[in-house]
Amino acid sequence: MNIIISFIKPYRAFFVLTLLFVVLDVFGALVIPTITADMINVGVSAGDLGYIVKKGILMVIVTVFAGASALLGSYLSAKLSAKIGQDMRNALYDRALTFSVHDFEQFGTASMITRTLNDVSVVQQAVVWCVTMVLPVPALCVLGIVMAFSIEPSMGAVLAGAVVFVMILTLFISKKAAVIFEKMQHFLDRMNVVLRENITGVRVIRAFNKEKYEKKRMKKSFEDYAEAAIKTNCLFAALDCFTFFIINILIVIILWAGGNRIGGGTMEIGDITALTEYTILILFYLMMAQMVLILLPRAKVCLERIEEVLEHKPEISDGREEDALEDAGEDVAVFQNVTFRFKDADEDTLGGLNFTCRRGQTTAIIGGTGSGKSTIAKLLLRFHDVTGGRVLLNGRDIRTMSQHELREHIAYVPQKAWLFSGTIEENLRHGKEDASEEEMFHGLEVAQAGFVKNLEEGMKAHVAQGGTNFSGGQKQRLAIARALMKKADLYIFDDSFSALDFKTDRALRRALAQETKDAAVLIIAQRINTILNADQIIVLHNGKTAGIGNHKELMESCSVYQEIARSQMKGEEM
Amino acid sequence: MEKEYDQEELDLEVPRYARKTIKRMWDTSKDQHLRLILVLISVVFYTLFSILSPLYSAYLVDFIWDGVKAAAKQGEVFRFTWEHGGKEILILFLLYLITWIFYVIQNFIMAGFAERLNLRLREQIGQKLNRLPLSYFDRHQPGEIISRATNDLDKISEALQTGLLKLFTSVGLVVGSLIMMFRYNLWLTLIFLFFTLLSMVLTSYFSKKTLHSAARRQLCMSRLTSFVEEAYSGRVIVKAFNQEANSSQKMHEAAQAVAESASRAEFLAQAINPAIRFVNRIGQVFIAVFAGKLLIDGLLTVGAVQAFFQYVYQAAEPLTEVSYMINTMQSALASMEHIYKMLDEEEMDPEAESPRKVENARGKVEFRHVRFGYSPDRLLMKDISFTARPGQKIAVVGNTGAGKTTLINLLMRFYEVNDGKILLDDVDTADMTRANLRSNFGMVLQDTWLFGGTIAENIAYGKPEASRKEIITAAKAAHADFFIRTLPRGYDTVLDNEAENISAGQRQLLTIARVMLCSPPVLILDEATSSVDTRTEMEIGEAMKTLMQNRTSFVIAHRLSTIVDADLILVMKDGNIIEQGSHKSLLQADGAYAELYNSQFA
Repeated sequence: MNIIISFIKPYRAFFVLTLLFVVLDVFGALVIPTITADMINVGVSAGDLGYIVKKGILMVIVTVFAGASALLGSYLSAKLSAKIGQDMRNALYDRALTFSVHDFEQFGTASMITRTLNDVSVVQQAVVWCVTMVLPVPALCVLGIVMAFSIEPSMGAVLAGAVVFVMILTLFISKKAAVIFEKMQHFLDRMNVVLRENITGVRVIRAFNKEKYEKKRMKKSFEDYAEAAIKTNCLFAALDCFTFFIINILIVIILWAGGNRIGGGTMEIGDITALTEYTILILFYLMMAQMVLILLPRAKVCLERIEEVLEHKPEISDGREEDALEDAGEDVAVFQNVTFRFKDADEDTLGGLNFTCRRGQTTAIIGGTGSGKSTIAKLLLRFHDVTGGRVLLNGRDIRTMSQHELREHIAYVPQKAWLFSGTIEENLRHGKEDASEEEMFHGLEVAQAGFVKNLEEGMKAHVAQGGTNFSGGQKQRLAIARALMKKADLYIFDDSFSALDFKTDRALRRALAQETKDAAVLIIAQRINTILNADQIIVLHNGKTAGIGNHKELMESCSVYQEIARSQMKGEEM
Repeated sequence: MEKEYDQEELDLEVPRYARKTIKRMWDTSKDQHLRLILVLISVVFYTLFSILSPLYSAYLVDFIWDGVKAAAKQGEVFRFTWEHGGKEILILFLLYLITWIFYVIQNFIMAGFAERLNLRLREQIGQKLNRLPLSYFDRHQPGEIISRATNDLDKISEALQTGLLKLFTSVGLVVGSLIMMFRYNLWLTLIFLFFTLLSMVLTSYFSKKTLHSAARRQLCMSRLTSFVEEAYSGRVIVKAFNQEANSSQKMHEAAQAVAESASRAEFLAQAINPAIRFVNRIGQVFIAVFAGKLLIDGLLTVGAVQAFFQYVYQAAEPLTEVSYMINTMQSALASMEHIYKMLDEEEMDPEAESPRKVENARGKVEFRHVRFGYSPDRLLMKDISFTARPGQKIAVVGNTGAGKTTLINLLMRFYEVNDGKILLDDVDTADMTRANLRSNFGMVLQDTWLFGGTIAENIAYGKPEASRKEIITAAKAAHADFFIRTLPRGYDTVLDNEAENISAGQRQLLTIARVMLCSPPVLILDEATSSVDTRTEMEIGEAMKTLMQNRTSFVIAHRLSTIVDADLILVMKDGNIIEQGSHKSLLQADGAYAELYNSQFA
């Protein structure tokens, strides 16, 4: 809960002002029937039209003030909640940017998106509701009861009694209501999941003849939701009816007791109008507050989910940058006895890894799915931190530099060629912000992405989110071009040639060799063809080095390598 | 960078065939007609008593007023007794109580109306999903279809939940109240009408603005959504290219745009009430002053004034809400039209009238002069013919877009051929029911769809009655057993789309296990091992081989190494088979296949 306070804090003055205006509006709503009562009591009884007109003018003034306060109140509360929402989203996003791969995976992409978008919206809405419908209620109740007291103490007592009664009941109802509401939320999510599964899995469902089963599953989720939704609606209807009932009873009591008191001379006829209005106003606000209170637990859950992200300490932090750069000679990246284990795993993903990527050389890593190949790239980029040993870049332990500096030296092509929506040019500029047109075309050429030239809009061609409007091979080549824009000491290609046909693969590798001759190259691959000519090949098996050497040496000495080769070169040649 | 807001995007949704849609809604809710009639009856009584109560309370107030005055004249103290006023108060209470009872009745009956209607529509959508041809799913994004069953229906329930009841009661209350008001005083009523008109104009102006600003907020929000989705999915790239500051700035800009549009939309939505209240109150002041004059002149009684005010409240609210209500009803009707449009989408061709049945096919598959195009004017396949004899392994190779997957789609009757025939065991598949046809096939797709359930449930998807032992055997055969057992809860691990708890390769192994368990006569493997590494592929290959023994199988593969032993290789290009034969014969022919093969293994 503290978190919401910390987000409101920068807008403290804002917040207080908003509350003030909301309360002023409510106060106006109470004053007007009081004036009306006065009008009837004095003006009408005495037959004094001047007095009536005077009171009328007063009412207009109060109305104008109350109206202005109400408008200002809603303006400020809208602004306040929007600001809080904006700050929360920015804080969440900036925090997410500091997360390592592991940090992020603990939440999951979908959940992080929900937290940044929907959860914040829910909290935002709750803030508005609280400010406009819950927080002014105590002030309203106290004021209303005091005013009723000033008319006639017993009437004040009746009203106070009713308010306390409704409040006690609220406590009972809201607990039950929260359960019902939570259930509905759960069924809503369930319905969405089942629907999505049915749409994305339509081929599988039909292939397995599971239409009937899925129909039943959908029906069940629809029915569960409908039942819960109807229950929730009934709950709100009950609340509404209950308030209506209490108002009716109070009006009758006011008439009965009021009549006698008017007879007794302690009250006047107009006071009945005032008291009735107070009652309706207070109970109406109480009902609204109740509804908000029922909805609040949901906002609280969302708030907690936001808090989780904001409180999560990123596992990787920047090193101090004071160490001077030593001359590491030709050794660009060095793995020294590196082990790595995922936090919740029982076994090391990588163990006792030793190798060096030298300038002007190509180092290749090959191994099966789950052998830990990609983890090596992630360790180099510090998306994970080693659990043992160390990784050196240009002679320095990468944990002693800032992540920014580290990544300045590395150009990376990921396994999943991800492009950002925008234009091809914008994507290439991620590699080098001020790249010239020639530079970009050169990069595309080397990456065998000449097809860009043939596009109608060339470099300005639109890229859909994730690059989905390009084929897998085109995406990979664009991702390679993007990495080549960057002049780096180390180029990492994480299985980046898999979607290319063999001809392009070969042409690309030839062009690359020229381009990267002053840097170290690390290629992670599944295909043996891709790495045949590498200066050194590291064969990974279950996270351990099964062999290091060039193709020829490994074909002679390394059984795992031979096996991989055999699996890919089945046919007459072998 | 910021594009101008597209006017079209901001335009409000208006139903096109309002009358037809309303009529159809009436039909859709036919199981609830009794409910609606009951509500209508209740509404009649409710409005009647709502109109009567102020009349009686006017009488009562006058009674007290006169009593007090009379008592004062005689120097007595006015007091209620049973004979003297008590009865009347009880009657008023009963009037209130009766009004309340009808209020309760209609509210509770209506509490379920909208959701029941929605349930019916959702069920229809659910059934429709099963009958739509696959081309529908190709043409529409999942999000779009889901939004029919969620957002559109939510809009409808929101509008109907309170709107319909309000609509019913409003008519009676407004008419009744106005009649009573005219009866009391013409001029007071005219003042009321003037100010009500004013606030109606105000509401209509505001509600249009509100909807516009809400649409704008929606637009900003959807931009933020796609930005966040994209940035989170591509976060590794953002970091690898040191784009954090850039990306953060973009986020802050997008979040600011949302905040600005949201605060405007929220303000307009909230401000409308105080604005109306303001106009109404000013009107009430005028009425009060004027009524005061009438009172002094003795043309109205205190009770009448009080009653008049109650009628003012009763009539003002529905009148000022009219334009708002029209707007929500309109957008609900527009949503309804979306749903009906989807329900009216063309369905799959009906099943053959007297279908022929093929159980446990031997596995002879024949394509005979098949012509097909995803749209009739653009043919993809012009003339496809080949025969797969029982037990043969058929490989389909070719570039992306060559029509490999289309071939499978036709075989499974996900799409219907335009011309020609596909035969299974010499029976035209068009003469079989789709269910019967598909029960003969087992399919592993590139797309590794699993549903949110346990691993065991997913493996047993095609054979729910399978024992745990059978499931484990299938998993072992698919080389999935090992990794499943390393998961914290083994076979009972719940697969969660959100948690991303298993890798793509592992998901693939599960889909293979799923088919292994069913052991169908014909196998279809569409890039089944594309996300599995070559060594694992080889291992699965062994299992596959066992599975394929005595079964006809169709294999689409990227890596030619897996298909060199196929009995028949179909080389496809632009929707046609350009070469067919065995590996050896095709290599000897030195055509497209040979070129492809050599490029892979040079």
